[in-house]
Amino acid sequence: MASRLLTRSTTAARLLSHLRFPRALNPSQLDSLLGPSRGLPAAAERCPFGDPPNRWFSSPTAVAEAPMTADGLTVDSIAGKGWTILPEDDSDWRSHAAAVAQSVKLIKKRLKWGWILERSKQLSVVLERPDLWDDPVFAGKVSREHGELIGKIKSVNLFEQELMEHIDMLRLAREEDDNELEKETMRALAEMRRSAKEKELNALLSGDNDSCSCFIEVQAGAGGTESMDWAAMIMNMYRSWAQRRGYTVTIVEEMPGEIAGIKRATIKVDGEYAFGYAKAEVGVHRLVRISPFDSGKRRHTSFAAVAVVPILGDGSTRYQIKDSDLRIERFRSGGPGGQHANCTESAVRIVHIPTGITATCQNERSQHMNKSSAMAVLQSRLDQLEIARQAQMNADHTQSLSEISWGNQIRSYVLHPYRMVKDLRTNYEVSDPDSVLNGDLDDFILNFLSTSLDEADGSA
Amino acid sequence: MLASAAAAAALLPRRLNPNPNPKPYLLKRLASSTTTSSSARTTPPNPQIPISGAAAATAAEVESNPTPLFLRPAEHPIPATSLAAFRRRAESLIPPTAPHLHRHLRWLLADAAGEDPALLRLPLGDLEALWIRHVRDRRPFQYVVGNEHWRDMVVAVREGVLIPRPETEAVVEMVGNVEGFEGGWWADLGTGSGAIAVAVARMMGPKGRVFATDVSEVAIEVARLNVQRYGMQDKVEIRHGSWFEPLEDLKGKLMGVISNPPYIPTEDLPGLQPEVGWHEPKLALDGGKDGLEHLLHLCEGLSSVLKPGGFFVFETNGNKQSEFLVDFISTKWDSSFCDVGAVLDFADIKRFVTGYRR
Repeated sequence: MASRLLTRSTTAARLLSHLRFPRALNPSQLDSLLGPSRGLPAAAERCPFGDPPNRWFSSPTAVAEAPMTADGLTVDSIAGKGWTILPEDDSDWRSHAAAVAQSVKLIKKRLKWGWILERSKQLSVVLERPDLWDDPVFAGKVSREHGELIGKIKSVNLFEQELMEHIDMLRLAREEDDNELEKETMRALAEMRRSAKEKELNALLSGDNDSCSCFIEVQAGAGGTESMDWAAMIMNMYRSWAQRRGYTVTIVEEMPGEIAGIKRATIKVDGEYAFGYAKAEVGVHRLVRISPFDSGKRRHTSFAAVAVVPILGDGSTRYQIKDSDLRIERFRSGGPGGQHANCTESAVRIVHIPTGITATCQNERSQHMNKSSAMAVLQSRLDQLEIARQAQMNADHTQSLSEISWGNQIRSYVLHPYRMVKDLRTNYEVSDPDSVLNGDLDDFILNFLSTSLDEADGSA
Repeated sequence: MLASAAAAAALLPRRLNPNPNPKPYLLKRLASSTTTSSSARTTPPNPQIPISGAAAATAAEVESNPTPLFLRPAEHPIPATSLAAFRRRAESLIPPTAPHLHRHLRWLLADAAGEDPALLRLPLGDLEALWIRHVRDRRPFQYVVGNEHWRDMVVAVREGVLIPRPETEAVVEMVGNVEGFEGGWWADLGTGSGAIAVAVARMMGPKGRVFATDVSEVAIEVARLNVQRYGMQDKVEIRHGSWFEPLEDLKGKLMGVISNPPYIPTEDLPGLQPEVGWHEPKLALDGGKDGLEHLLHLCEGLSSVLKPGGFFVFETNGNKQSEFLVDFISTKWDSSFCDVGAVLDFADIKRFVTGYRR
């Protein structure tokens, strides 16, 4: 209540000051002062700590210093100490604290922390201008943006503060030899660690289309049956991964190999954040093993390419497809057709003539449904093209564009002479390829997602 | 495509050998099936002749159940291992060169399974009998599962009703392109399973009606089921009778007439694909001499039921028949119809004749 009173009085004071000093600076000058971009990039607009209440008249005071424990620990210093992070059920406060600190750092990265602090300072300066309220629309905008930033900063700071308090409390409990208090604090720390993990995840998956469902396409590289078998293994890996995550998986298209495996296949993965996770899998996957298809029992290296396409919601569909641009090819029995034939073959292939992009569906039991499924695939592919085109114009996004291209090898699966799966982008590796091929992919995905944040932050 | 089931049968003994534990009764039935099909049978099998004791009785029972498989309650517990064993046995009956049969097996299992994968909609023995009948006797897959996926619908079908064809999906599109169709009265003559009538009704506004007629009692029953399944009772009125006969009260009131009448020339019937010729109703296929008997009858009746500006679309046997009809209508009834023309199907065959009443 006190703070609200204070806010109100400072606002009143500012309003008064406007009345006294009219037109010292016009709004366009203010504009230039605010820098080239008036809005925040999408990444920073979402706050993983939940949207703060609309603070139209929040106080323009500067941000508080980073929270600190009694003996000078901060989130940064904890993260810098390199304490080992043990599993959650190990009750070691250092491990909990380090885990929380790591999450907080990641969240800050996602929010572009340094940039946020800088901008909130700039906005505070603007808010102090005596003639700000000459243009109430502009003033409202500035004040709202400032409020949002302050809200984000405060919620992160509060979280840090909480961590520091727990650490202090724990130290106190140990000094006083208060077992109960110590236990309780440890519980609270563990709880904090869990919620930090959740928030971190939300921060990782806050890209434009991350919450969408997606198509995953796998294509076998050169090398015949061995690489087609590899493509089928990869496809199975994604299917079981998606099922583990509780997503619905449907096969849209499958072109089987002559002897084993698949030449290419497309599945649809339905569920929240399917694209956000799966996009980490785009690229070329390499397998080294003794091929079961080689009678000479020689070691083979094969490749499979993976593409992931977001399925944009109806509202945000970006590419308008003209009917006249489409060529629709259906299965023809070749005979007189109509009542003469009983045929359950209903595959449909659609070609988008201007771009040459095609989509096939044979999974549904009627041509009509295969056609609409194939149209959905085509729409998504064209949307992706459009996203890429827009991204090229917007330098801010070129980073993610390079990630969606096909050329790069991203992961190596070695079954012989040793056993290992290694991600070439993050250097994350495990020595149990079977569990990975059975869909245990989350660690690879999360590692990649946080690493790509590092890169984005480094280049910013 | 047509020969693949026979090819499947020819391959049976070879495919079966690697099977470590063939069920004796299966082998027995297989033996009988391979001998019959390898002798290039050209006549339909007589369903009255018992196949082999108890299994045959099951097969007859299975087919006498008029409820389509996918609508039956899932109440037969099945261990996952038995189902997997069935899948292996069933796959051993078909060669890898017959992708359509592998597809059918996948779909059959999908239709037979309940929400809970541990429950089937029929006893495993019946499922086995259905599959063998399909592979051996070339009973159309749509009759086996009791449905055909047509447009975005799952249309119930059974013996005695024509299975809706993918070509016919386009008819619904053509109706949808008629200005103001959604508020008018339409007739679907010889509705069969009711697929067209229901699909058109589903696109209509509150004032639109479809009057679906058929002379076959079975068709009336199946059409009624499909109308009910899609909740179209208020929009589709089913009337029993031949072509225009049940529509006396609607003369001059119809915005459109749709029909997919029997159009195969009688002389072509013996050469039909076994799935069609042996199993589908002659009533829905046999178009008489030149296949035009019913089409001409329909043309005759058109001008009295359609209101001015009304639309018609008929499916035909293809190029020649369509060309003939277009020519015939535009010369004989030039004063009654305009914009008469043939429309291509997806295989670029002139499959449909459409036009407007002046």
